[in-house]
Amino acid sequence: MSNAAVLSAVLSPQELQLERGLQVQPSPGRQLALLEKSKTQKPVIDVERGLCFTQSFKETEGQPLILRWAKALLHYAKNASVYIDENQLIVGRAGKPGRYGILYPELDGNVLGEAVRRLPQREYSPFGISKEDAETIQERIAPYWQGKTYHEALAKALSPETFALTYNHDLSSRFIVNETSSFRSSIQWVHDYEIVLKKGFLGIREEAAEKLAALDPDSPVDNTEKRPFLQAVLLTGDAIILWAERHADLAEELAAAEADPVRRAELAQIAAVCRRVPAHPAENFREAVQSQWFVQMFSRIEQKTGTVISNGRMDQYLYPYYKKDKDAGVLTDEQAKELFECEWVAMSQFVDLYLSETGGAINEGYAHWEAVTVGGQTTDGRDAANELTYLLLKSKREFPLNYPDLAARVHVRSSRRYLYEVAETIKEGSGFPKLINDEEVVPLLLSKGAAFDEAYDYSVSGCSECRMPNRETYTSPCAYINFAAALEMTLYNGRMLKYGDEVIGLQTGELAQFASFEDFLDAFLRQQTYFLRHAFIQQHEIIRLRARHFATPLGSSLHKLCRESFLDLHQPHIPGGIDLGYFEYIGYGTVVDSLAAVKKNVYEEKRFTLPDLRTALEANFEGFEAMRQFQQNAPSYGNNDPYADEIARLLDLKALEFTQKYSRELGVRLDLRYVPFTSHVPFGKVVSATPNGRRAFSPLSDGSSASQGADLNGPTAVLLSNFETKNQGYNERASRLLNIKLSPACVKGEDGTEKLVRFIEGWRDLKLWHVQFNVLNRETLVKAQADPEKYRGLLVRIAGYSAYFTELTRDLQDDIIARTQHESL
Amino acid sequence: MSGVIFNIQRYSLHDGEGIRTVVFLKGCPLRCRWCCNPESQLPQPEISYVRQKCIGSAGCGFCAEACERGAVTFCTDGKAAIDRSKCDNCLRCAGNCPSKAIRAEGRSADADEILDTAEQDAVFYAKGGGLTVSGGEPIMQGDFLTELLQNARRRRLNAAMETCGFGDYAILRQAASLLDMVLYDIKSLDPGKHKLWTGQDNALILDNFSRLCADYPGLPKWVRTPVLPGFNDGELGAIRDFALSRPNVRWEALPYHSFGAGKYAALGREYGV
Repeated sequence: MSNAAVLSAVLSPQELQLERGLQVQPSPGRQLALLEKSKTQKPVIDVERGLCFTQSFKETEGQPLILRWAKALLHYAKNASVYIDENQLIVGRAGKPGRYGILYPELDGNVLGEAVRRLPQREYSPFGISKEDAETIQERIAPYWQGKTYHEALAKALSPETFALTYNHDLSSRFIVNETSSFRSSIQWVHDYEIVLKKGFLGIREEAAEKLAALDPDSPVDNTEKRPFLQAVLLTGDAIILWAERHADLAEELAAAEADPVRRAELAQIAAVCRRVPAHPAENFREAVQSQWFVQMFSRIEQKTGTVISNGRMDQYLYPYYKKDKDAGVLTDEQAKELFECEWVAMSQFVDLYLSETGGAINEGYAHWEAVTVGGQTTDGRDAANELTYLLLKSKREFPLNYPDLAARVHVRSSRRYLYEVAETIKEGSGFPKLINDEEVVPLLLSKGAAFDEAYDYSVSGCSECRMPNRETYTSPCAYINFAAALEMTLYNGRMLKYGDEVIGLQTGELAQFASFEDFLDAFLRQQTYFLRHAFIQQHEIIRLRARHFATPLGSSLHKLCRESFLDLHQPHIPGGIDLGYFEYIGYGTVVDSLAAVKKNVYEEKRFTLPDLRTALEANFEGFEAMRQFQQNAPSYGNNDPYADEIARLLDLKALEFTQKYSRELGVRLDLRYVPFTSHVPFGKVVSATPNGRRAFSPLSDGSSASQGADLNGPTAVLLSNFETKNQGYNERASRLLNIKLSPACVKGEDGTEKLVRFIEGWRDLKLWHVQFNVLNRETLVKAQADPEKYRGLLVRIAGYSAYFTELTRDLQDDIIARTQHESL
Repeated sequence: MSGVIFNIQRYSLHDGEGIRTVVFLKGCPLRCRWCCNPESQLPQPEISYVRQKCIGSAGCGFCAEACERGAVTFCTDGKAAIDRSKCDNCLRCAGNCPSKAIRAEGRSADADEILDTAEQDAVFYAKGGGLTVSGGEPIMQGDFLTELLQNARRRRLNAAMETCGFGDYAILRQAASLLDMVLYDIKSLDPGKHKLWTGQDNALILDNFSRLCADYPGLPKWVRTPVLPGFNDGELGAIRDFALSRPNVRWEALPYHSFGAGKYAALGREYGV
């Protein structure tokens, strides 16, 4: 009987727009015109940041690191080009017009020359570069850094065993126990923007000057540690203020030459705003937005905060300025939205350039996540949504751009209006906002030592992580661990097909020795522990070495605990800080499904032996299709099936036990996370065929999502599998990234919104950390693959962010298409 | 006690209020030409075979090995062919098929197992979701249906039922006493056309509907009409008026779709639309 009322061919608004040929309306227009201009071209490299830092560092050798960094910033502010884009209202960019990336030779100067030669051709995230700029890099930048980079120091510090799991001989990643500290100098971060809005850099500067004057002139510590810190704060303040002043100068010049009286007035206003902020406290909404943006961009210039320096809780810290201007009748919602959208365009033009192929592969699609957090709770635990929250959601619905990365906090007292507007925004089809669950995050932060007001005030940062500005102090990037490789090493006694006879992992024994599934599982768990051991060894060296190579005077100026302790934020321990690190479990679904399939078909059904299976795996299942099908159709993770979920929970538990035992030695909590960015693709490329029927070198499962196509019981079962596989008695956990793809038919109309809200409420009540939705037709993706030109504006959700679908590699496109679509039939 | 079901489908969005888990009971007295779930029709389990999913006899052939009646042979391209006249639906081939090209449609399940599954999604049922019993025609398995609904009520699960209305009113009435809502199909008011397109007269269906409305006026009822061009597209207004003349009735037309067409071939039958 049952009749399905679902039409499969419903298009999301975004898709409709694409079908009609992406006619961007010219009016009201400013922001869209800005956007159109920059959207299509390939990003270019701007060398000025790399050059300025190199020049300055040559001059400051031997001085305290934080001071060197501040001087480099000042050198940049004096000498780098400043730009004001046509039509823009919000100014401040670190490179040439259009989309651009900048250089951080202190990170990868050792491979810079070679990377620049290969850049235009590489598969992941290509960039353009002029011949002249390439020469500048090869002759004036790269040579200075040879032998000086952190990357080289880290490689030298690792033991042969750890090295073998980390690098190839040329220091490129093996994508096994993958360190991420050599392509970025900090994990994702959120500044306390509010202090800049309230005090201005002159205020911050003044406090530092007072402290400097009060130092004990006879104290060796005051002279050698506190003094350089305070001097760095002063210089950094000078630098950003100078940078803003130079924008004011340029705006005045341009105004003088401008024929159009409307634009002339705008330029004059830009000049006036830049004369005031970020030096002074912001007095109105416009100044607050500009001031925050200057800080964000200057932070980019300071260091590669990878992959993102987040925008924090914009609906909270900007609200007083918005409210004041609205009440005074000097600001309309349209004007506020226009300013935001000018900022979004500026944000989209900065591209997070990765010169190392490792970085580019892990963050494919020019990924960067300047998360803007909306909603959540106030510092005293009340619902925080306000008019600005709704304005930010509205901008996300109406403005066709994948920036900013909007994150909506959800809690049990989130209002109906809020949940509905969030659901409506998700339905627009670009996958925003992603959702972060206060009911999981807040208790975890409390249990890790935060006070209530700090925990309630967390910002989403990066892909799905959270930060408490002014309280968290840990910045060392951590390991992404390929546990599918650990599984492969269990099958090949410490080896991987890709790397031939080399013994890389633990020799856990020949397959014939595994008489029971428990034996096999135990061997895998020993491999897993071996990987964790080396990840933690890596981390120990990373923490030690980073402090000698990187400094962040801007980040430290804005951090209360750093100002109090006179310590740079990159130092291993800041008094009063909470240090939250992590390690990523990559390939969870792949491993769980493989173990479940082995248990089922090898040990229970006895359809074939483990050596038989290995023969098939070595042949990439060529000639063994029946075996592949049996394995693929065995119980799998993501279906709320205890058979697979109990294995998954055990793997989670063992990883938690390890970190519970050894984190303390490191002086930092390394929490278990399941956040892949796009690493499941390059990680898959080193792993041969796996026992779950996955073919050699294809993508691994992503985050805590099910293996591609393995989730057959719908999205509620995916959520429940996530819930069931968590070990909730432990607090050594953080984000589990979870992608749910829905067709527009599932969320069609008012009724669809209602059901999406209920689904979100279910997710919230299960206390899962994160979820993001991809509302698309599979057909749309296939069409986009075939006709990238027509679909170049198509946004798609992958692992915590949106990118343009057609800019992804074919592999990743295939991966997205392969994920089960939860049609409601 | 156990019944025969052919699917439990979670995250169903169009079978009652909210997010629901639908259990499909097997066996139906109607043979609607457009039926999108032909595997629902026969009361007993049976096999379906999707030829495209068959990986061929080379390196496989487990289906033929399992069949004691010689019903499975292989075509020149290696793919299995099933002689339905020899098949006695023992289902052993389905258990042996690695690619799930041959599947068992239907299995026995007891009420607690079904309700345990439905309860897993309880967190999504807030404000209106729950269990929907569908089919087939649930009232064909009357005793099992009653036990299922009694236990659902004990577990405080919101329960809905989809019915074609063709069956023993006593069972329908018993079910209604345990339901939070009913989804009732009315396909046509024209007895001749109804008989032609569904294989049965509509008098019992319309009569049961009237009695149900009289006995349970407060029970929410969604009357649904699948729209079939050439069958009932000319009488939608009349059906709507008929349905809405009763209290607590919501009516909706369901557009025809052909998502079930492929299933007919898999069951060795002809699609009727």
